[in-house]
Amino acid sequence: MPGLRRLYAPQRVAVRTDPRGAPTTVEGVTVEAVREEWLVEDRWWTPEPLRRHYFELALGDGRALTVFRSARAQRWYRQRA
Amino acid sequence: MYVELHAHSAFSFLDGASTPTELAAAAAAHDYPAFALTDHDGLWGSMEFAHACEGFGVRPITGTELTVDKSHLTLLVEDEAGYRNLCRLLTAAHAHTRDNTGRASSQAWATLEEVEEYAEGLVCLSGCAQDGIAAGSFERGETAEGERLARRLLAAFGRDRFRIELQRPYWRRDRARNRWLALLAERLGVACVATGNVHAHDRRRAPLQDALVAIGRCETLEESEPYRRGNSTAALTSPAAMAARFAEYPEAVAESERLAERLRFDLTQQLGYRYPGSEDPDADAELARLCNHHLGERYRGSARLLEAQWRLEEELATIRKLDLSGFFLLHRDLLELAREVAAEVRGPESARSVLPPGRGRGSSVSSIVCYLTGLSHVDPVEADLFSGRFLNEETTSMPDIDLDFPRDIREVLIPRVHERYGREHSALVAAFPTYRPKGAVRDLGKALGLPPAEIDRVAKTVGFHETAAEIERDLAAALGSSRAAEPRWKVLLQLAGEIMGLPRHSSQHPGGMVISTRPLIDVCPVVPAAMAGRQTVQWDKDSCADAGFLKIDLLGLGMLSAVERCVEEIGRARGERLDLSRIPLDDPETFESIRAAETTGVFQIESRAQMQMLPRTQPRDIDDVVVQVALVRPGPIQGGAIHPYIERRKLRRENPDYEIPYEHPLLEPVLEETLGTIVFQEQVIEVAMALSGFSSSEAEGLRRAMSRKRSEEAIREHHRRFVAGAAANGVPEKTAEKVWNQIKGFSGFGFPKAHSAAFGLLAYQSAWLRIHYGPEFLCSLLNEQPMGFYPPDSLVHEAQRRGIRVTPPDANRSRVLCHVETPRTEEDVRGGLVVRIGLGYVKGVRKEEVEALVAERERGGPYGGIAELASRCGAGLPSLERLAWAGALDGIPAGSEGERREALWRVGVTAAGRLTGSGTQLALPMEPPRPPELEPLGEWGKLIADYRSTGMTVDKHPLKLLRPGLDPRLLRSSDLAAVDHGATVEIAGMVTARQRPETANGITFMLLEDERGAVNLIVPPPVYDRHRTLVRTAPLLRARGRLERREGTINVLVADLAPLERAQPTQRRPREARERAVAELRAVAPAGHAFGRRGR
Repeated sequence: MPGLRRLYAPQRVAVRTDPRGAPTTVEGVTVEAVREEWLVEDRWWTPEPLRRHYFELALGDGRALTVFRSARAQRWYRQRA
Repeated sequence: MYVELHAHSAFSFLDGASTPTELAAAAAAHDYPAFALTDHDGLWGSMEFAHACEGFGVRPITGTELTVDKSHLTLLVEDEAGYRNLCRLLTAAHAHTRDNTGRASSQAWATLEEVEEYAEGLVCLSGCAQDGIAAGSFERGETAEGERLARRLLAAFGRDRFRIELQRPYWRRDRARNRWLALLAERLGVACVATGNVHAHDRRRAPLQDALVAIGRCETLEESEPYRRGNSTAALTSPAAMAARFAEYPEAVAESERLAERLRFDLTQQLGYRYPGSEDPDADAELARLCNHHLGERYRGSARLLEAQWRLEEELATIRKLDLSGFFLLHRDLLELAREVAAEVRGPESARSVLPPGRGRGSSVSSIVCYLTGLSHVDPVEADLFSGRFLNEETTSMPDIDLDFPRDIREVLIPRVHERYGREHSALVAAFPTYRPKGAVRDLGKALGLPPAEIDRVAKTVGFHETAAEIERDLAAALGSSRAAEPRWKVLLQLAGEIMGLPRHSSQHPGGMVISTRPLIDVCPVVPAAMAGRQTVQWDKDSCADAGFLKIDLLGLGMLSAVERCVEEIGRARGERLDLSRIPLDDPETFESIRAAETTGVFQIESRAQMQMLPRTQPRDIDDVVVQVALVRPGPIQGGAIHPYIERRKLRRENPDYEIPYEHPLLEPVLEETLGTIVFQEQVIEVAMALSGFSSSEAEGLRRAMSRKRSEEAIREHHRRFVAGAAANGVPEKTAEKVWNQIKGFSGFGFPKAHSAAFGLLAYQSAWLRIHYGPEFLCSLLNEQPMGFYPPDSLVHEAQRRGIRVTPPDANRSRVLCHVETPRTEEDVRGGLVVRIGLGYVKGVRKEEVEALVAERERGGPYGGIAELASRCGAGLPSLERLAWAGALDGIPAGSEGERREALWRVGVTAAGRLTGSGTQLALPMEPPRPPELEPLGEWGKLIADYRSTGMTVDKHPLKLLRPGLDPRLLRSSDLAAVDHGATVEIAGMVTARQRPETANGITFMLLEDERGAVNLIVPPPVYDRHRTLVRTAPLLRARGRLERREGTINVLVADLAPLERAQPTQRRPREARERAVAELRAVAPAGHAFGRRGR
């Protein structure tokens, strides 16, 4: 519908990772620490299954950020709060 | 190295997606040295798991995840004291789950005080990430409470046996929670231990685990999101992967191995079970005294006394050697208890009082000790029964003594056994209903949020034993292939394949009881059963057998109840006191009916397959009936015994000198009575002994290897020895292989002769009653439903064709149950008696209301009018309306014309008693004015009302009413006798039974009943594939096919099928009206019984 947009829609983000798959930089900013890491696998019974690997990060510039990699899209996204 | 100490199997009931055996196999594949099974609040799967682990070389650890108030604790058994305590704790957790005083039936829980009381010998982990006593408090933000509880557990279990449990389910707060738990452990001064909270043996089962959670909560997958695991990491994975998951806590990983090393309790060895009497030093002497006493009585003057004495000595010696005298005495004690119960239930005046309380079945009937102690009613010497299958010196498990009781006696006996041995010492065996296609489609369909109407359509189409591929075919047939290809239905198909065979909940075994000298609750948890006054152990019959428990089967046998009811009804209606043990066993009329396959309602030989065979085998005496009972079983069918047996019987009849062509002369002595074929289970043993020189225990080993738990490796070894042994006896290899194939085909799926002897006698007795006391026999069958091969409607129609009069329910004549009555006028009916359908047959009426109605009539005389009935009987409007629909008020007032609509109108306007808060409000006894002109219901309307209200009609057969509108080319069943073999015929009727035996290579058999009789239809696979839904569900069919006539039997080999409403319309009844009429009948007609691989 024109004029409407989804709130808190994830945004694509550039992430580099270590060999284990954990983020080392986000948009060029170094990751200081991984605070939490979790996995969501849901809606597998629908045509749009969800498989996301989440990381809650502390960045070198002092920001806290949650990113996830979508296994379906093979891409990284930033979860907007 | 990591060892798993927290895992759930499907015995966590809807919270675990793998069987214990699958978990054990996966643990072995990942090289786990030990593995713990910790199902929710129970040890249901522990014995299966322990034995499976042993087989795979993994050390099983026994434990549970116990609900404590609303939190969870993981408890692991360290030693025997710990196991005893765990059983007591679980028993306490389940107490009050069925008495509405405490816990809900599916929600067991213990108190923390109980945990503290039973802590000895157990290791306690602080519980899972979501609901654990410690971790859960963190999740709920109640850390102070969590620490307080953890300190209480520490005090109860001590530093040595309490651990803080860390889990890594890949949830959002894992790290924070584990950090807090690690700090808590530090403050308490105890170690942390890592666990996986496994819910599936393989990651691919994770979707099923999600679906099970949704099913358990009666929600859809979407709705159950907060309660599902959220991802697939709860599947079993390798120790290395688990160690990597806990990289931050290497000590917690190491602790899992250290702890596992200590948990050495072995469930397969350390139960310490004893049965009452097993330690009695005088048991041998007491059993011998008892048997010798009865030997003198039973065989006095018998020519076979010496033989009986010799057999008794031999059996007693074996029993002494196996230390089983106490076992027989215990069974005898139970039978004495049953005798007391029977006297109480039957009452001293009952015609049934002369009958024994129950009968033996199974292989125990071959034992002379069982015969002399009253555990069997068949003389094994007279019947030439061989007891090696029941009792031999190298037996590794307890022999089975199964006792059949009439249902009413059994109902009282079971709680009485609890009383006699104490509730702590006796319990029923559990049973675990497992998922089958129908339940799988319904439960998974709901979880997937599929439309209820579609689920219903598909569930009604699938058969009992279908595979996922077959369900897929049915799905496409029911909904169309494009709908069936939609994602959620596709997911359902995949999950259905996985869920099949998994236990859904726990239930009780029909009659298996365990009795123990030590309190049972020290050996296995005991939980209340759904039926009041009963309790079950947490193990099923296989686990009980693995545990070495003595299982006593007190089975309810419908036909035994029916026969007893019949004897009672004969006593009541004719004043005759019948002793069934004294009826002649050579009654010509009875055998004539058996040979003519007129056996509807007769025990065991009433089935369609038996009826096909009886005219060909022509049984002449009771021994023939014993063989006949055993013949239609998968063993003789697959072993290729049927056709040679029938053929040889025929040749013998024609020529008494006909020589039976035995495969080898050595087989003549053991296969003589079955004309050279293997019909009885023990003949497998006897053949192996005779042909190949097997010892009796070797041969018994062969029989076991062939039976349910068959082992291919063991069979190969037996095969080698069988052929070699035969060669040593001079038997050619080709002959040995041929006989081996017969044995292998038989595979143990047959009756032992002893069992057949017991069942054969009951079959004969029921056939005799059917012939000589037809009305009483029909009446007792109707009162004992559900039982047997035919629905009540078919039993009634068949009896009517034999001239037995059956009358409808009548509020002024019927009792609650069906009964026989003397007709008011002299009529030409067998015995002059009429069967009156009971008011209890009317669906939806309240039992207590019809009981009150009958009691009031007996007290105050017949009801003079409907208003009087309504005011006197106390029944509410709904029940009276149903009685009116069923025609039970047709005769009120006396002389009325029996118009149901009028009766309904009268019931309505007299404002019959309505249920109010304080009871039923009575109606005033004022007869209403004349009813308005109501259109009579008509014959067809009455028929529909009959089926809707009682599931049967005693009036005209539906086909008789339909006939005038049917295609005149359709033949009646009675016309077929005059049709030539091979001719094409077309018939129509109601389906009364459908059967798809495993052994019939995809052929389906159906019985089609019309107003003259029943026709056997043979539906070959191609026809079945074209008309699957029709074959499985249509109550009214039209069939075209080839008539086949063979030795007195007539079948129709079906070429085409159609629903009856598609038959050609005629001018006499417009097509549309008739189709509507048939559709009405289709909605209410009995479904017909289905047997075998139903509907595959």
